[in-house]
Amino acid sequence: MRELLKLNHYFYKYKGTILLGVLFLIFANGFLVWIPVLIRQTIDAIEELTEAGFATTDSVWQALTSPEAGSLLAMNSFYLILAALMYGVLLFATRQTLIVTSRRIEFDIRNEIYDKLQRLPQSYFARNNTGDIYVRATEDIVRVREYFGPAFMYMTQTIARSGIIITIMLLVNPKLTMWALLPLPFLSLFAYWVSGFIHVRSNEIQEQYANVAGRAQEAFSSIRLIKAYAREDYESDRFKNESQVYKTKKLRLDIVESLFHPLLSLMIGLSVVLVLWQGGLMVIEGIVTIGNIAEFIIHVTYLTWPVASLGYTINLIQRSAASQIRIAKMMAEADEISDSDTTNFKIDKLKGEIEFKNVSFRYPDSKEYALKNISFRIKSGESAAFVGRTGSGKTTLIQLIPRLFDPTEGEIYVDGINYKEIPLTVLRQNIGFVPQDTFLFSSTIGDNISFGIKNPTYEKIHEAAEQAQVLDNILEFEKKFDTVLGERGITLSGGQKQRTSIARALIRKPAILILDDSLSAVDTKTEDAILNHLKSEMEHRTTLTVSHRISSVINADKIFVIDDGQIVESGNHESLINKNGYYANMHKKQLLEKELADL
Amino acid sequence: MTASDKNKKSNNNKAVDSRLIRRLYVYLEPYKWYLVGALFITLIVSFAGPLRPYLIQVAVDDYIAKDDGAGLRLIIYLYVGVLFLESLLMIATTYLTRWIGQGALFSLRNAVFNKIQSLHVQFFDRNPIGKLITRTTNDIEALSDLLSSGVVNIIGDILRIFFIMGFMFYMSWELSLVALSTLPLLFYATFVFKAKVRVAFLSVRDRIAQVNSFVQEHINGMSIVQLFGREKEEMERFREVNENHASAHIKTIFLFAIFWPTVEVLSSLAMTLVIWYGGASTLSGTLTFGILLAFIQYVRLFFLPVRDLSDKFNTLQSALASSERIFSVLDTENRVKESENPVQNPLVKGTITFENVWFRYNETEDYVLKDVSFEVPAGTTCAVVGATGAGKTTLINLVTRFYDIERGTIRLDGIDIKDYSLFDLRSAFGLVLQDNALFSGTIMDNITLGNPKIDRQKVLEAGHLVEADRFINKLPAKYDYVLQERGSSLSMGQRQLICFLRAMVYDPEILILDEATSNVDSETEELVSNAMNMLLKDRTSIIIAHRLATIQHADNILVMHKGEIRESGSHNELLGRSEGIYRKLYELQYKDQIVA
Repeated sequence: MRELLKLNHYFYKYKGTILLGVLFLIFANGFLVWIPVLIRQTIDAIEELTEAGFATTDSVWQALTSPEAGSLLAMNSFYLILAALMYGVLLFATRQTLIVTSRRIEFDIRNEIYDKLQRLPQSYFARNNTGDIYVRATEDIVRVREYFGPAFMYMTQTIARSGIIITIMLLVNPKLTMWALLPLPFLSLFAYWVSGFIHVRSNEIQEQYANVAGRAQEAFSSIRLIKAYAREDYESDRFKNESQVYKTKKLRLDIVESLFHPLLSLMIGLSVVLVLWQGGLMVIEGIVTIGNIAEFIIHVTYLTWPVASLGYTINLIQRSAASQIRIAKMMAEADEISDSDTTNFKIDKLKGEIEFKNVSFRYPDSKEYALKNISFRIKSGESAAFVGRTGSGKTTLIQLIPRLFDPTEGEIYVDGINYKEIPLTVLRQNIGFVPQDTFLFSSTIGDNISFGIKNPTYEKIHEAAEQAQVLDNILEFEKKFDTVLGERGITLSGGQKQRTSIARALIRKPAILILDDSLSAVDTKTEDAILNHLKSEMEHRTTLTVSHRISSVINADKIFVIDDGQIVESGNHESLINKNGYYANMHKKQLLEKELADL
Repeated sequence: MTASDKNKKSNNNKAVDSRLIRRLYVYLEPYKWYLVGALFITLIVSFAGPLRPYLIQVAVDDYIAKDDGAGLRLIIYLYVGVLFLESLLMIATTYLTRWIGQGALFSLRNAVFNKIQSLHVQFFDRNPIGKLITRTTNDIEALSDLLSSGVVNIIGDILRIFFIMGFMFYMSWELSLVALSTLPLLFYATFVFKAKVRVAFLSVRDRIAQVNSFVQEHINGMSIVQLFGREKEEMERFREVNENHASAHIKTIFLFAIFWPTVEVLSSLAMTLVIWYGGASTLSGTLTFGILLAFIQYVRLFFLPVRDLSDKFNTLQSALASSERIFSVLDTENRVKESENPVQNPLVKGTITFENVWFRYNETEDYVLKDVSFEVPAGTTCAVVGATGAGKTTLINLVTRFYDIERGTIRLDGIDIKDYSLFDLRSAFGLVLQDNALFSGTIMDNITLGNPKIDRQKVLEAGHLVEADRFINKLPAKYDYVLQERGSSLSMGQRQLICFLRAMVYDPEILILDEATSNVDSETEELVSNAMNMLLKDRTSIIIAHRLATIQHADNILVMHKGEIRESGSHNELLGRSEGIYRKLYELQYKDQIVA
């Protein structure tokens, strides 16, 4: 609960609107409660008139037009309509202030959390399940909003309405009030119990629902095995069992849900019958009037929802608090590696010389070193290639260069300067990175290519696409560069994706180009064309390539073979072939593969 | 579209709807009498609710007004009695209808699962698993309201309106007409509101999806955002998406902010009319205070079921959409058909013959197998080698009838495999596949696959024989150790051993094995190859081979290349052909392996 107090600064930000909303709500309830009071007054007046011997033989029409009774009825009806209209207008105003504000606050929180996501280091994303992070930034916010929205409004509503109603009831007759209110605390407790119970049970049901889906998933994805062993009946039974458990759990919730409305109306009914009974006796004794009974019955119905919602609201607040605790934990995480005191902000251009000095690296939460004592130097304008088995550490190595992670031990120098002294934005501005898992956003192809530059022009995008050999493919699409990718758009082939990703890096004209196995889905002819282009521009560009294909690395100035986090062979193509080691073996196999494919 | 077309279309829709409802009713049929019971209880409940204001009228007019305290007590007892009865019956009918609904959903869910499971493998290639899961879960859930409380509640609401009007008109038809004069306004307001709110809800749902997918996408692509220094721009984009999301909600809030007060004002207006006209009637002696009091309550009571009804019809509409999707699965035709006159109790020896088999997965694609013919005599081992995509796995898919071939014949012991029942045919085979081979569940269940014919003793013996118990006995509950996530806690080799054990206890006439490509640690490797030797002994086997040892011991090797059998013979024979495919494959894939 204390966690939610930390959120109160949002209330403060919108204090004017919220204050106004609360006032609207209080006045709205004032007008609402005026209605039963007016009804009582009218009934009482009618009773008095009747007792005073008003001509009872007249027709209804005559009564309506008679000066004494007619004007009284017209007047009171006018007040009733006025009260109802005022209530309606104020209720409208309340919703437009309080609930709208809760959405504005939600808007602020969403922005704040998204902003935080962007500042979190890659190590955070590596350590945490993406699904969990996603829930923080989506469902948990929805929960927290409920604290500002429904919870706050219902709470105010309950206090305002029951305060006014109970005061008026007490003024009429304290004893009758006690009788009328007797069932209401139970109603509140009951609502609290039920909504809590529903929450727990619903979670259970959600889990079991996932189990049912899991069963189906497992069976459908192993369909060959099931068919091969003719075990369809067995799987049917297993599914049926999960389905049965789901049904049972659902029915257990259904019991509670079936109890809710009937018991709610039972308690309100009890309230009404108590008013009728005790009030009736009081009428007989002449303490209260029939008008009072009518009034009390309406009061009690007006109290139903605010009182029941009290229990529900408390549950809501508890759930909001739980979500807020999770969000707060994420917000407390340290930001990404950023500039420090030693940063030299005068540096604004890089030539692209890279040197690793005894660099070792260990992923957070991992005991084993992924890189051990790596040292090498690549001069500006040179090309270097890294080869080796999957999991040998190649990708980890190149991820250190744009400081996605910092080395655990050792230092990295760019242009002879310890790269921690280079402003992070400058360092990254000078790097064109093509990651292994091609990630494109679901916007247009043009937007994706121009992702990393400030003032994109059609010419620049066109040129980059051409250099990455993806231009022809793009021009074949009906909307060309405006073609939307992803769920709502088209799906590119693996090779097209990789080449778009390369164009995205090339458009920045970076001093350092990093290709992490970025040509694996591209056919060899296109690969040649891309590499040829890169070569022509290589003089002012340092290129680092990770690859499994000899054809991608054959022309590199320096080739490093990485195994188990260490450099085990290095040299150019010829010298490595002569060494007859890992590289030579890899080369031989790829030649054979090619021969086979050509058969 | 002309008006008559529109008419026709909506008529067609109605025809579809009533057909769907009739098909859905099949699942409710077993509960027919319970449904009748629930309806009967609903009838009583719908009467008891409106009865209560009437009792108040009686209490006021006949007892309070006449100062009859004792009589008042009696009517109070009656009122409390009605109240408790109403609550109890309401609980009963709510639970009963949900119980019926859950029962119907349960059988429908199982029916959908069984249907999907029974379908040909090609169906699974064409439909993403996610979609199939949606059919067995989400779509069924969407029917929940329709099959449980839906229909009964609608009838209940209608009955309630009917009874309320009955009581009102019974007490005073004049006042009833006056009170109900606001009703058309309420209907109109509800109608306009529902139409607008449906659009608004759609847009809210859309915007929520947009915010969520933006967040999801950017969590996945955060490294790109950071590498390319796009934080500021992406923040702006998020702000925009977020703003759209907030404004969609705010629009909906506005609609509700108009609607709820309107409903309140209308219901107060009705009450005012009752007071105005009713008050005058009381003065003129044609109406009692009790009736006035009762009417004040009826007016409020009346608004509820009217509002409820408009909600219900919406849910029903979406439920019908789901049921249409469900039935389209249930109506899917199975492409791999059972033989009408299967061979009775076949005694399979295990000779497999492929005769000029042609096959492709899709009519638009190239043939994966082109005129393939070979024979595996009973009791021999046949190894199949070839590069990825050569068609090796397809052989397995065809011989087990996961797919039916386009041209040619496949025979088992000289009989076309289509003449066996699917159960007999598949029971003759034991499959050991590379992946997806384990389920979540105990090791024991994974080995027996729940087959009651395989007793625990047999599994233990087999486990001992292949020495798999060496690692199984080290696990916390041994054979009853529960595997999580398809056995990810075990090593590749251990998982493979369990699959071997499974094939072993099933003791099939023919073994089909897709050897694992990835490296197995040397200790398990030895166990695996020992187990394999035991399995292969005196058994017809087809092996997609990745181990040199396997090929060397095979009686015959088929070299597949681009959908054809290009070479066949023993290891030494094939190796002797200097320009052969086998020789190249051997150098590429097997040469580095040390033969134990």
